[in-house]
Amino acid sequence: MKISLNELQSVCRKAFMGMGFTTGHADDASAMVAWMQSYKLDGMKELSEGLECVVASAASARPNVIYQDADLAVVDGQHMSVLSSGNLALELAFAKARIRGLAVIKIRHCRQRQLIMGYLARLASRGMNVTAFWRHSQSPITEQVVGFRAGSAVPSIRVYELADIPEDDVPNDGVTILMANHVDLLPTIRSEDEYKLLARHDESDLLAAKQQALEEGLTVDPEIWQQLKSFAAKTLVEASEQSRSGAGPAE
Amino acid sequence: MTQLTPTVEDAMLSLRSPATVMDLERLGSFSPTRLSFARRLTRLMFEQQWKVSRTQFELDEKGHGFAIYCLQTPAYRYHVVVFSRHLEDAQRTDRVIAEAWDLTFCLLEGEVDAELMSALSANVPLQEAGRQHPRLLVISRANKSLRAFATVSTALASGQQPDIDYLKEAGYLYRTTAVYGNGKFGIADFDRLKGYQDFWQPFSAQMAAVYMLREFSVDQVEHIARQADPGRAVALHPEARRYLGIGNSTGLGMAPFLINHPQLISQWVWVRERALAIAVAQAPTEHDRDRMLALCHRAAAYLADTHVEDAPQRARNSEAHEELTQVIAWLEQVPLDEVLWQQLLNWAQTHLSLETQELINTLLIELYPELVDALNDPMGADENLDLTPDMPLIQLKQILETRFDWAIDADYECEDARFWFWYQSAEKEEPRLGVRGEELGEEKELGLAIAPTAQRVYRDVVELLDAQPRALTIDLLMAFPEHMRVIRRIQTMAATVYGEIRANLWHRDMKPMHLLRAKLSFLGAHRFDPKGDRWVRVTFFQGAPLLSDYEDSAASAQVFDDWSFPVAPDAERVSASP
Repeated sequence: MKISLNELQSVCRKAFMGMGFTTGHADDASAMVAWMQSYKLDGMKELSEGLECVVASAASARPNVIYQDADLAVVDGQHMSVLSSGNLALELAFAKARIRGLAVIKIRHCRQRQLIMGYLARLASRGMNVTAFWRHSQSPITEQVVGFRAGSAVPSIRVYELADIPEDDVPNDGVTILMANHVDLLPTIRSEDEYKLLARHDESDLLAAKQQALEEGLTVDPEIWQQLKSFAAKTLVEASEQSRSGAGPAE
Repeated sequence: MTQLTPTVEDAMLSLRSPATVMDLERLGSFSPTRLSFARRLTRLMFEQQWKVSRTQFELDEKGHGFAIYCLQTPAYRYHVVVFSRHLEDAQRTDRVIAEAWDLTFCLLEGEVDAELMSALSANVPLQEAGRQHPRLLVISRANKSLRAFATVSTALASGQQPDIDYLKEAGYLYRTTAVYGNGKFGIADFDRLKGYQDFWQPFSAQMAAVYMLREFSVDQVEHIARQADPGRAVALHPEARRYLGIGNSTGLGMAPFLINHPQLISQWVWVRERALAIAVAQAPTEHDRDRMLALCHRAAAYLADTHVEDAPQRARNSEAHEELTQVIAWLEQVPLDEVLWQQLLNWAQTHLSLETQELINTLLIELYPELVDALNDPMGADENLDLTPDMPLIQLKQILETRFDWAIDADYECEDARFWFWYQSAEKEEPRLGVRGEELGEEKELGLAIAPTAQRVYRDVVELLDAQPRALTIDLLMAFPEHMRVIRRIQTMAATVYGEIRANLWHRDMKPMHLLRAKLSFLGAHRFDPKGDRWVRVTFFQGAPLLSDYEDSAASAQVFDDWSFPVAPDAERVSASP
């Protein structure tokens, strides 16, 4: 079915609140999903595939900081969705980068890492150069790099598979983010190892995708949409005669 | 488009303070100005020479069927499609929970082919229950003002013009009960319209749709009259036609918009206040004073003509009418000083009601179109409430103490201060007000009351600063993630000129009607007629130019530019018309 971007964001926001997110975190989580969907990057699919995890993460708004100094922070994602506390972890790194010029944050053990791109877009719009890196799988190893130019909400994305690299059997379920106040961090692959490019999204492709989404509406799975509306309905109050008195004049 | 922070020019202007302007009762006394969206639309249509034509008019003898109008602007082509149906009297209600209406209509981009028409026929009449096409920019619905409609159609069918006194009472043939834009029910997102030359300003597409409904309403009533008696029926006199607007019933559903779009509202207020400050700074000529007197006379005549059912509003109008007489006497007597307008404002502030003070402000803005109309451009805002996580907490504390003093110093503990709570009903997801402790749903309260939330943040800021004097905003958020939303808002709004609406939305004495009127004034609504605390009827485009005026090359520019506070046409002249 077709929906508008505003509908998506509004229903997601209420759904997250229905799950137990605080209002601010529900705002951010819905914006993260809507951002991905508006650039045709399957935000709704990413959300629905981990919906149980999102529900379980709803009460975990506070990042668990394992280590931090002036330039660096390491956060334990506790196998929760990045929708729950990813925003604050990233704001922590943003604050450090603003003060120190460059900052690195590692969020370990987190889920639904793709969705973090929506918040990175917001930080980039606020004047920060941002690059994020994570591994999708171990065998074969596939990696994703997402880079935003300061001032732009549209990234360059590269996903590639490495054919021959040193063995690493420790699953990498984290995401590493670099932020630089003054230096461009866009991804350009320069590897001596053999690699196969699996996906490449440049700014112009993504802008065209968004324009198309705005003109034609966003396509979503009706079943997922209904699931979200069910969560959203938890924020509504059943009507009563008393409440109807505020629903306008009866003629 | 965005210009939310003070400019160098602002420093030269004598802007009223946020404490004065953002007071909810004052905002609830605003009248529409020439910067309002309805006024801007009629100017734009004239300046850009929009071509509007009726391309289909498939109505039966009772006026049921559909009609299509084409709007050609220099940049794009749009269509308005109206569906008219029979509605049982029992189904006709202004309440948002209604499921059927006399008319439903939409404004859409591009052409209307058979496939799209089929989708529109199936969905537009369903409104919220339909799945609307993404090429639609606006959907809306309207109900007949039954007595007005019957009176006008009967008079026209018998070859007569309707009684002008009756038109004064009614003011319109149809009233809308919701006008949806920005992605509602599948229609186009406002983000898409921002790229258009025509409807990039907020509510500009909605205003165009309502304007076209006004045209249809008279086309339809004339059609019905002709069908009833083809030999005798006459068209409505142009002056009577111009005097008819479109009504609108609005309820609490509009109120959260003002709270949820603080940057936009602050921007609208800032534009209006800059226009006022520019007008007040002018040294008036004798011509300016005469023009101001003429405007006061017209506004007084408008108030005298205006029938409202609500007794308190009637009293406010009556008081404003009486006070305008005093203003006229004052203007006629005082010497023509360079700072006459400032003297007028000073005198009004100490002697006249808020209603009249704001009416005078509206009229002053009217005097200087060449200076204020360009201010219309930044009526939009890029709405991003952004966090500044590296802001020292001591600075956040200072912002709260200087820009949110009205919020953090208030008492929210007494019963009256926390009387209401806002919630969203399962019925059409409408926002409503409940009494705390008495009505169900408190646990699902909407976070619209910014003032008490700001106070909670302030207390936590003070406590954290005691322990960590060099803490940053991010340190507070790591400890209190639930403050994320309001801190973003505080930091963002502190950079705006006018900031937040200053009110405790929980308070027993809080009047949601003030929120509705503030927004309606910016849209351009006249004839403000509250129905209790939570509903209001208003009229749009009464006195506005007709499509035939746009086609009339001899029409004066004033017709398109100067139509606020419309006065009823002369009854004899209208009735003498064949």
